[in-house]
Amino acid sequence: MIHKQIIGLLVHNHPGVLLRITSLFTRRGFNIDSLTVSPAGIDGYSRMTIRINGNDDQVEQFINQMMKIVDVKKAEILPEDTSAVSELILIKVNYDNTNPNLVLDVTSAYHASLVNIGKNSMTFRAAGTPGEIDRMVSELTKYGILEMARTGIAALEKGDACLADIQ
Amino acid sequence: MQLTGAEIIAECLLEHGVDTVFGYPGGAVLNIYDALYKYSDKITHILTSHEQGAAHAADGYARTTGKCGVVIATSGPGATNLVTGIATAYMDSIPMVAITGNVSNDLLARDSFQEVDICGITMPITKHNFIVKDINDLANVIRKAFRIALSGRKGPVLIDIPKDVTGAKCEYIYEKPKEITNKLVSGEQDFLNAAKVINSAKRPIIYMGGGVISADAEKELLEFAEKIDCPVATSIMGLGGFPSSHRLFMGTIGMHGGYETGKATDNADIIITVGARFSDRVAGDREKFGKDASIIQLDIDKAEINKNVKINYSLIGDLKDTLAGLTKAVNAAKHVEWTKQVEQWGKNSSVSQTPDSDIYAHPYHIIDEVRNLTNDDDIIVTDVGQHQMWVSQRYRFEKPRTWCTSGGLGTMGYGLGAAIGSAVANPKKRIVLFTGDGSFHMNLNELATVRSYNLPIVVIVMNNTVLGMVRQWQKLFYGRRFSQTDPHRKTDFARLAESFGVCGMRINNDSEAAEVLKEAFALNAPTVIDCRISPDENVLPMIPPGKTVDDMITEME
Repeated sequence: MIHKQIIGLLVHNHPGVLLRITSLFTRRGFNIDSLTVSPAGIDGYSRMTIRINGNDDQVEQFINQMMKIVDVKKAEILPEDTSAVSELILIKVNYDNTNPNLVLDVTSAYHASLVNIGKNSMTFRAAGTPGEIDRMVSELTKYGILEMARTGIAALEKGDACLADIQ
Repeated sequence: MQLTGAEIIAECLLEHGVDTVFGYPGGAVLNIYDALYKYSDKITHILTSHEQGAAHAADGYARTTGKCGVVIATSGPGATNLVTGIATAYMDSIPMVAITGNVSNDLLARDSFQEVDICGITMPITKHNFIVKDINDLANVIRKAFRIALSGRKGPVLIDIPKDVTGAKCEYIYEKPKEITNKLVSGEQDFLNAAKVINSAKRPIIYMGGGVISADAEKELLEFAEKIDCPVATSIMGLGGFPSSHRLFMGTIGMHGGYETGKATDNADIIITVGARFSDRVAGDREKFGKDASIIQLDIDKAEINKNVKINYSLIGDLKDTLAGLTKAVNAAKHVEWTKQVEQWGKNSSVSQTPDSDIYAHPYHIIDEVRNLTNDDDIIVTDVGQHQMWVSQRYRFEKPRTWCTSGGLGTMGYGLGAAIGSAVANPKKRIVLFTGDGSFHMNLNELATVRSYNLPIVVIVMNNTVLGMVRQWQKLFYGRRFSQTDPHRKTDFARLAESFGVCGMRINNDSEAAEVLKEAFALNAPTVIDCRISPDENVLPMIPPGKTVDDMITEME
């Protein structure tokens, strides 16, 4: 069964490491819908969060292939129910005199903050689970979305365990 | 001691016991070649005609010795010419360190003369690659490169070094390489689980591959197969890892494997896969491969489990360890009826050849005559195509590391370079290269190298004047429309050889073969034999791509 799974990667922060990882996506035919990279909080390491679409065999193969890359130190599934998952969106919505309150109703329901007002647009920032962000986007669609940028997801395992625990 | 980057490269090669390198000089590696001049009493450099030949030579050197092959090339085209050789080694998990020069740091990323991003280009065909921009990193990068190439599942590693780094100086301190040990990942319970299944087997087979040779695990495999009395099929890459003369040996498995290996795979209740990877040339139909069997896979690379075929039990680790552990865990068994049945299938497998003729020799006949003249330690190299399959079907290999062929990538033009590397590494062994006129035309420039170093390689060109393997597919699947496969080139390979200063001979038919080959072997000198075979000779049997033994073709025009 195809479903979405989140993988956390801890990688050596060497030049080219992003290319080594992303080139595997096409080479091995993995279907990725989100990728984020940031410092891992340990010197010399970066953390990547990847969301892959695939069945269990494909996810297993993905992790095994990732672990063969010399610069990859760890690759683990972060199950959505036992992980804190979040992403951020900036979204610019069209408004005319008839709809600003309707737009604001939607954005306040998702705790989005207004970051800018233009002549015919409002720009909001919101953070939440990918599902919440998807729902907000879909509700705003009828008012006319001018543009948007999503960061992709970040995820941490809940509890005390850390991907960054390395000997 | 203060050394230049180039001298550090030489010292690090010596640390790893490298006494032979293959390569071709150029602007960006002038410093390295200057150091090789200084170290010429300790490191032999073999100069080829083309960098591709050097890469294949390093590959042949590695396959026949188990050591890491080393190849050096300059920046830009020198580096890109290595690409096919590196990809060939990658697909067959052959340990290799490729060292390329690059333009100086201050010229990098400016499209300078002979600059190319070889790290970017080789990323998907190396286990890892490095660009060394700081001389202080150089020694450790080289050490890491050897370690990566030789540990776990082996493979090629590339080190790109800008010219100013090889010219700069820094402190060098000798380091003894740490011994490479591969972790046994599977635990006792995994062995017990696998053993339980094997103990219940009525119709087991072993499907082995190149991993057995890579791990030097031939003795462990033999002991295991004998203990459980289990017939053995091999991929092309595994040839030599199990003696062909052994009663349990069935032959090769897959597209051009024998009828018995196909039937045995189809009827097996358990398939024990040892260092093999279920490529499409073995498991044409991934769903139907071993359809009634539990599959147990032993491999050093965890990513091979469930990659192509669904695996029921896996043992991960060095094959020497997993095979020894499994042998200990299983009960001795006898499978009298099953081995008899397999033997019976073997008798039913017959292959048609073209009729006898005065103007053509038969491939099997030539291979048999060569086998009469070689001993079990001699090394057989091939190019890619029909001749390669005929040799893999027919030649009786008894020992590991006596067989060099491009199994995974299928690189036409691989053979002569690999034969050179084999000959340099094994001066006491006979080296025979079987090639075809198509493959040989690709890289025959290396005859100049063969002559320069006076390497007594016997090259047998199975010359059918056509691109036989592709032509065979056109016969079967493209309505005999022979698009670009009938070049009928007029090359006289015997005279061509003479022009390189290499002895040229001819075999026109079967009756001439024994005598000409005997004469060629007696020369103990570089020799090319132009061996005329029929353009209509086919490789049979054949399982069409994506199909099973039930669809096996045993006869065709």
